[in-house]
This record gives sequence, C-alpha cells and structure tokens, in this order.
Amino acid sequence: MRTSFHDYDYLSPVCFAIRSPITCFMGRLSVFQLSWGKWLLVFGLFSIVGCSESLPDYTLRFGLANAPTNLDPRYATDATSARLNRLLYSRLVDFGEGTIPIPALATWRKLSPTHYRFDLQEPKPLFHNGTQLSAYDVKATYASILNPDMASPHRGILQIITRIDTPTENTVDFFLTQPDALFPGYLVIGILPANLIANRHPFHDHPMGSGVFQFLDRPDDTRLIIERRADGQRVEFVRIPDPTVRTLKLLANEIHLVQNDLPPELVTYLSAHEGITLQQRQGANFAYLGFNQLDPVVGQELVRKAIAHAIDREHIIQFVLRGRARVAQALFPPEHWVGHASLAGYTYDPEEAKRLLKEAGYDHDHRPTITYKTSTDPFRLRLATIIQYQLDQVGIDVSIQSHDWGTFYGDIKSGRFQMYSLAWVGVKSPDIFRYAFHSDATPPVGANRGHYADALADRLMTQAEQTLNKQEQQTIYRSLQARLLDTLPYVPLWFEDHYALASPTITGYQLSADGNFDGLNQVRWLGSPSVPPNYLARHYP
Amino acid sequence: MSKSELFNSHHRLTMRLWLPLSIIASWAFLATFLPLFSLTPDAIDLTNILAPPSLEHWLGHDELGRPVADRLISGAQTSFFVSLCVVALGVSLGGVLGVSSAYLSGWIDAVFVRMVDIMLAFPGLLLAIALAGALGPGIGNVILALGIVGWVGYARLARGQVLALKHADHVLAAHAIGAPPWRIIFHHLLPLIMAPLIVEASFGIAGAIIAEAGLSFLGLGVQPPAASWGSMIRDGTRYMLVSPHLVIFPGLALMAVVLAANMLGDWLRDRLDVKEQSSRGKS
Amino acid sequence: MTHFLVTRILSAMLAIFGVICLVFLLIHLIPGDPVEVMLGESAQPTDKESLRHALGLDLPIHQQWWIYFKGLLHLDLGTSLFSGRAIGDLLIERIPVTLYLSLVSLVVAIGLALPLGLVAAVRQHTPLDYGAMGFALFGMSIPNFWMGPLLILVGALWLGWFPVSGQEGWNSVVLPALTLGTAMAAILARMIRSSVLEVLGEDFMRTARAKGLSSTRAVLQHALPNALLPILTLLGLQLGGLLGGAVITETVFAWPGLGLLMIEAIQQRDYPVVQAAVLCISVTYIVVNLLTDLLYAWLDPRIQFTTGDG
Repeated sequence: MRTSFHDYDYLSPVCFAIRSPITCFMGRLSVFQLSWGKWLLVFGLFSIVGCSESLPDYTLRFGLANAPTNLDPRYATDATSARLNRLLYSRLVDFGEGTIPIPALATWRKLSPTHYRFDLQEPKPLFHNGTQLSAYDVKATYASILNPDMASPHRGILQIITRIDTPTENTVDFFLTQPDALFPGYLVIGILPANLIANRHPFHDHPMGSGVFQFLDRPDDTRLIIERRADGQRVEFVRIPDPTVRTLKLLANEIHLVQNDLPPELVTYLSAHEGITLQQRQGANFAYLGFNQLDPVVGQELVRKAIAHAIDREHIIQFVLRGRARVAQALFPPEHWVGHASLAGYTYDPEEAKRLLKEAGYDHDHRPTITYKTSTDPFRLRLATIIQYQLDQVGIDVSIQSHDWGTFYGDIKSGRFQMYSLAWVGVKSPDIFRYAFHSDATPPVGANRGHYADALADRLMTQAEQTLNKQEQQTIYRSLQARLLDTLPYVPLWFEDHYALASPTITGYQLSADGNFDGLNQVRWLGSPSVPPNYLARHYP
Repeated sequence: MSKSELFNSHHRLTMRLWLPLSIIASWAFLATFLPLFSLTPDAIDLTNILAPPSLEHWLGHDELGRPVADRLISGAQTSFFVSLCVVALGVSLGGVLGVSSAYLSGWIDAVFVRMVDIMLAFPGLLLAIALAGALGPGIGNVILALGIVGWVGYARLARGQVLALKHADHVLAAHAIGAPPWRIIFHHLLPLIMAPLIVEASFGIAGAIIAEAGLSFLGLGVQPPAASWGSMIRDGTRYMLVSPHLVIFPGLALMAVVLAANMLGDWLRDRLDVKEQSSRGKS
Repeated sequence: MTHFLVTRILSAMLAIFGVICLVFLLIHLIPGDPVEVMLGESAQPTDKESLRHALGLDLPIHQQWWIYFKGLLHLDLGTSLFSGRAIGDLLIERIPVTLYLSLVSLVVAIGLALPLGLVAAVRQHTPLDYGAMGFALFGMSIPNFWMGPLLILVGALWLGWFPVSGQEGWNSVVLPALTLGTAMAAILARMIRSSVLEVLGEDFMRTARAKGLSSTRAVLQHALPNALLPILTLLGLQLGGLLGGAVITETVFAWPGLGLLMIEAIQQRDYPVVQAAVLCISVTYIVVNLLTDLLYAWLDPRIQFTTGDG
C-alpha cells in the first residue's frame, strides 16, 4: 500500500525515533524524498516546497462537492454549511433521525401556550475556548438573530419570539407573540458564546461552538480541518468539485469518505470495488424547479403547468438517477407527519403541455424563452440539459447558465433568476412553508426567493400556525401543499436517495437519514495505531 | 541503406501530404455537408445512456444517450467554422494592417509596432480565455476572442515581409510610374508575401482548433446542448472510468485534425521554402 | 551596451503600461452593464449602485483609469467580489504555486527536447530523426486537456504512483508538469534540431571535425553551446505559452495556481480577480522575456548593442 508511505513525507526527523522498525524504514525513504526538497531549495524554491507539505497522517479526509459558504449558524443556509455546523456547534433542540423535535442541549416545558421554559441538561458542554455553555449564551445567540441589523435569514420564523429571559444560568424562557405548536422545533440553531457575539467574532471564518468537533484550520478555501474533541481524531474536508476526481481520490485512498453528489454511474462503479463500502438510504431532500414569479414568462401559472407536464420525471429517475430517487409531489415525503400521500401530481404529458402553452399565447413562431440557472456540478448540468431538451420538445426555448456553486447560490438567495433547480435539504418541520412561500418571507427576511404571493396560501399558513391541534394542523398543511401544487411556485421533481462511500481504511461511519455528517462522531480509523493527540497537536500552532 | 529506403520520396509524400490532406478534407467535408446527413446530435434518449459502441452506433452514446458519432460530426462543424473564421479574420485583418503599416512607415508604423508588441506581451491563450470570460460564453464570442488575439502574429509577419520587399525593383518601378498605394499593396506586395502567410495560417488553423476546444473545455465556448470536441472531452472525462469511449473518440478526432494541420503546415513550409518563424511561439 | 539595456528596459516598461491599459479595459468589454453581469440579471438597483460605486464605475472613464493606475502603483489590486479578500493576498498565495509548476515543466521540457533535438540533428534523415520529429509533431498536437485526463488515468489510477490532483506531496507536480512539459518539449525539440543543424554547417564545426574531433564530442563541445543561444530566446517566448497553457492544465489537475484562480474567478464573475490574474501573468511574461533578452546579449559576444529589439 502506498497510502501511508505517501503521507509520511516531511515529517520532522524527531518523530522517527518513536516509531516501529517498519516506520523507521519508511522514515529513511522519506529522508531520501526530503533530499529532493533540498535539491529544489538550491533553486530557491523553499517556500513552494513549504506549500506542498502534506498533512500528518491519521487525518480522515472527506471529499465535498461544495465548500461550506458560512460557518456562522446564524447565517448559514446552504446544506454543506448546515451539516458542518451540526458538528461544530450544539443546539437546544434536534430532530435526530425523525421528524419530531427532541431535546438536545435542553429539555422543555410549555408553561403557557406562549411561554416555553428550556432547562439545560447536565453536563453542559464546554465551548472550544474552555468556557462553559450557559443560558446567557443561548439568549445572546437568539437575540442576535432577532436583531434586524444582523440581517439573519433565519429571523423570519423566529420573529414570534417577543422576549427571552434567563432566570438562572441553566434556564431560558421564551415568550411568544402567539401560540405555535411547532415552536420548540425552531430552536435548532447552533449556540455561540455570548462574549464572542459581543466582540463580533468572525464565526463564519473561525467558528467557535461547543460541538463534538472543534475548528482547527482553514488553510485555503478548498480545505477545512476540524478535530474530534474526545480523541483528537482529525477530519479534513476537501472541496473537490469534479466528481471523477473525487472518485479517483477515493480509489487512491487520498480521501476516505464521500457522500452524495456523484453521478449514479460512478456510485455503481465505486461500489463494485473491493473494500469500498456503499451505504444507501431513502432520502427526503426535495429537488424542485423554482421560478421568479415577477417574470413575464414563468410568472404565468399556465407556463409553469406546461413545464410540469413536459418533464418526464419517471424516466429521468429510472435511467439517469438509476432508481436512486422517488417522484415528489410536495415538499414533504408521504411518510412525514404532514406528508400528503394522495396528492395527484402532474403526469408526463407533452400534448397537454403544448395545449397549455397555446392557451398562454405561445405557439411555433412565438416560443417562450427561459434562462435556467444551475451550478457547474456536472451531474446537475446533465439533468439541466435533459430538462432543456424535454422543454424544447414542447416548444420552450431554454438557455442554461451555469455558475460556480457559491455564485449560483448567491444569485438564488437574492432572487436573481428566471428558473433554477435546487433542493431543500434536511427540512424537518412544516415551518418551512412560511419560510419559503409566505408573501412576507421574501429575502432577506426569508427564503421566498421567487416572490410567490398567494392570499389563500398565506391564510392557510397562518391558520395552521394558530391551531394547537395536531390533527387539524395536519389537515391544513395538506391543503396548503395541494394549493402549492396547484399554483406551482415550484415544480416538484423528486426526492434523491442518500449514499455514502467509504474507503476500506475507515469504519463506523453511519449514513444519517437526512444526509448530514453526524456519522463522523463515531467514525474510526482502521489499521493504524491510535495516535496520542498531543503528538498531532504539534503540527498546529 | 535499406532502412532509409523505407522513407523514399514517394512514401514520404504519402505520409507528409496525402495523409494530412485526406484528414483535413474529410473534416471539411463532414463539417460543410452536415445538413445533408440526417444527424441527431442533440436528441436525448434516456434508454441509451452511456451505451458502449455497437454495430448500429459505432461510437456509442454519451451520458445523455445522444449518439457520439453524430455529436462528433457536429463538433467537427463547430471546430471547422470557428477555426476558419478565426484564421480568415486574423489573416485579413493582420495582413492588411501589417502591410499598410510597413508601407506607410513613419509614425504610423512606429505606433503600430508598439501596439503589436503590447498585444504580444500577453500569452495568447491566456488573453483569449480572459476575453471569452469577459464577453460571456458563446461561439460568436469565442471567434471574437481568438480573432483579437490571433491577428497580431499575421500582422507582424506581413510587416516584416513587406519591409524586406519594399525596396525590391518591381515595387520601386511601380512607384516610379505613379501607381496608387492600394495598387502597389494589392498587386505587387500581397502576392509575394502570401506564401509565408499561408504557412502561418495553416499552423494558425491547428492553433485555433485547439484554442476553441480548450475554451469549450473550460466551459467558455459552446453552451449545452451544442457540441464541441472540447466540451465533449470535458464531459467525457467525467465518465472516463465507466465509459472511456466518451473521452477517447473526441480526443482522437481533435488530435488527428490538429496533427494533420501541423503536418500540412510543415509540408507547405518546406515546399514554399519559408524559413521557420521563431515568432510562432508568440502567436 | 548601456544603450541596448536602456532601450530594452524602456520598451518592456512601455509594454507593461500597455498591458495595464488593456487589462483595465477588460471590464468594459463585458457586454451591457458590467455591474449587472457581475451581480446577475434582475439584481436589486441598490446593490447595483453600491457595487458600481465600489468599483468606481460611476466615474468618467479617464478618472477610473487613473484610480486603477494609482492603485497599481501602490500595489493595491482591489478586493475580490466573491471572497472579499484583498486580491494582492490571493495572488501572493497563488504565484509561487504556478511558478513552481512552470519551472518543473520547463525542466521536463528541456530534459525531453534536448536529447530528441540533438539526436534528430546529428542523425538527420535517418529513422531516428523521423521518429524524434514524429514524436515532436504528436506532442505539439495533443491537447493538454486530453493528455491530462489520460495521464491521471494511467499514472494515478492504474499505476497509483501519483496523486490524482491538487497539490499534495512532492510527487503531485509530476503529472501536470508532464502534461505541460511535453507540449513545450515538442516545439523546443524542433527548434533545437534546426538550430544544431545550422551550427553543424558552419566553418568552425568543419574545422573541429577536420582536426579529428569525434562527431559526438564536436557536437557536445562546440555545436550545442552555440545552438542553445537562439533557443534561449525561444525559451522566454515559450514561457508565455507555458503560463497560458497552465490555465487549462491547472484546471485539469486542480492545481491551486494563478490559472485555476482565474478560471474560478470567471465562473464566479469576479472580474477584478480575472483582471489581476491576467495582469500578473502578462507582466511576469514580459519580465522573463526581458531577462532572456538581456541574458542573450550578455552571452552572445557577436551581438551589436546599437539596435533596439529585433
């Protein structure tokens, strides 16, 4: 195996003394390689060799398609950031594997319909700087989200909080403007230390939380290194946008874990390799086409309905996604407690699509033209090209614009698009409807990026929130989803399955139900002696 | 020497002229008469995704079930069209500017030389990438970007040639009988400098083909669903582990045509007895 | 000598000035409203105005130019629209990485081209010559972006000798350097061949041979040093091709250099970074060419120091 051999370069000679004879032998080899470095030094290239220094071994490398855009949980909205923040911060309430909120940092009691009391559970975790998490940190975190000047995208739903009290350092009281049965489920945002919030600490770059992992280093915008606090196990997230390169690196054991974002062909290819383990689970991440309602073309309901009828989702799932998805009619899958199993979706019917377009005033000579934004991820681009073709077949001209993920997501968040495709990831609680579809939730307050405004939908959301009866709530949310399917702010596509591929050198990674990275809490390194954390620590100041 | 008999003149002519010529000719033929074939380069057939080469479809299907052969021909058209436009633009613009500058001399020439120097101070491909990035993706912008970068080499060459010819007897004679400048340029100078320009242009075609494919590879050239060999290679590399035919065929096609253009350039240069321009590295 | 030095340096400075002007104009080449392109269509008018102001695009063009130029004099290249970092810092991170790749590629290129060109010249019109030149022709015609993936397939996946991509460990430079180096080696080998052939035909070589020197020694001792002189200039020019080609090669191998920075910046519509990257690479190219010219002048005793640049 060349793996560990490769990683031993440039270790300081002091380390060799404490190694077994075999590693000593490797050490000698690396002395030879080091002399290569010296040779280059002759040409004045010292600084460059410094750049190419590889990390010490025992770091578990996780290949990501997109880098996290923001490690401040108050601002993070993209899936990668949210998943990383789960590791770095702890939160009051969690959803775990299910769709019902469960206690995390705190248990709660409903003292009145508008008054919730949260009691921090012992042992309270330490922040990575050593201070203990207290009720004041909880208050400071939520207070800063609620501060309009901070322009947090999560402020929208939390605005029902009128006041936060901290009777003791272990108790937080939340007072609401109105009763809300879903309320505890809103408190899933990572807690930041109060003193650093006051000092305007740059959390987005230097996260400081109380999670299972602590932030170590971000050497450049492609890499992020964190460390498991219990045993010093390091995990390096490496951004590798190209799926083939990610595949090759997993095969070469340069990275040890990949999760999602691979073309199905490569998943099959990888899983056929000896030693590489594939885990797969049905997912609930809702892929959709979004529209700008203010646009003269896709702002028309008829055009959106035509699009819904023009896309052959069954065949795309069968042949392109290789069955690793299921058709979606609504944001929540049927098994969710507000899921609506009997929704009749739009069938693939090109003739109906053409008829609808004609009704909207388009024909052969006057075809609608749509700009379709997507990321540069090759698989997304591939899906986009298929949708482009299928829309062309019914008489819609589509031009695809693909941008780097960060730029693309930035455009979508601020409403700069005509049509785009994206997925809602890790959605657990129906408050998403207000966040994504309420006419008041346009950016920057919420995520109604397409400026969807429908009086009936708004009314249904308010009704559902005011009901404390779960049965009734369920009925209302179901009719809301029917309404959304009828008015099509999104054309629903599918729920993609999750999969994780692990190299033979690691063990214990459990793929979670919503595709988060919590499996890293238990992951273990195979085939190497355990490493004293202080030895590793020397490599990082 | 029996070994070198292998390379007798007949054999070498076949190798050096007829082989590249036939490649270029079939490339040009496929590209020009594309509409005559009933090709479906953009037709997506989900049931044929990544289908390997078969008797019916020689080159197999791509990641969207589109026939690779059809896309290869469609890509030939893209590269033919772009390289022809770029070289034509470069030769005509560069030739006219270079000749006029040398002929007019004086401060115009001095300014022109400085301009050319500045343009040559950019690594060519880099400038083309930056221009294509600024202008936005699309085939027209690729031609524009490569044209802006490409004319300089021809201008420099034409100017150098004219400077050497300016005081040739027949030019001075034409002057003496009062021929107008445009007549001298078009009748007495241009024909004589055509040979080196043609040689340069044949290398220029090779360069333009690679450059177009390179820009498309970077995603700055043709946009989906249109086909270019460069974008086919880029898409192909993503599936090279499972379907190597997607990256091999467009790469072979691209290399064959570029090789042919380079060989033809070499042959022309030897035939027309043009000295190798050391400026080639620049353009 | 001084005169040559001064004119050569002055003309290089003029070229740098011209490059700055053209790079400045790059942002104005963006069709339509550059601010709208950078922010994406249907951007908020307030966002557009604030970016326009931040970039100084609301000023008359000569004033913009002056501000840009003044900034450059203070080595201030502005800030990245995407990451908000100072562009100067970004460049300082990336320049050594690209330079490293370029230098290793150069070593690869010379290491391949020298034996090929020499053998071809010394054994002119033999199968060896045709073989070497055929190889060179192939090298010239294989596009980087095709050779790169093939090398990854063979060197990283099948043999497992090198990392797939990125800059990790000392051996990660091998595959990108091979990709870049072979293309350059092809052109170099051809030049070395013709340059050596030319020298072989000259009087002093005939004398050397007449004096009984073996032809191998004659070539190595007398022909090569003289033949290498014109190649030096070509090397400088080729570096431009190398730096340009590095953009594609860095993309293929995810090599975190200037070229990758530029491509990412284009995808992120981060035009100030694109400008800075182009400027940086072009200025390097001019300076390298200046240095090779000066080196050439210093090495070649025959050069006359009265002419400007040829």
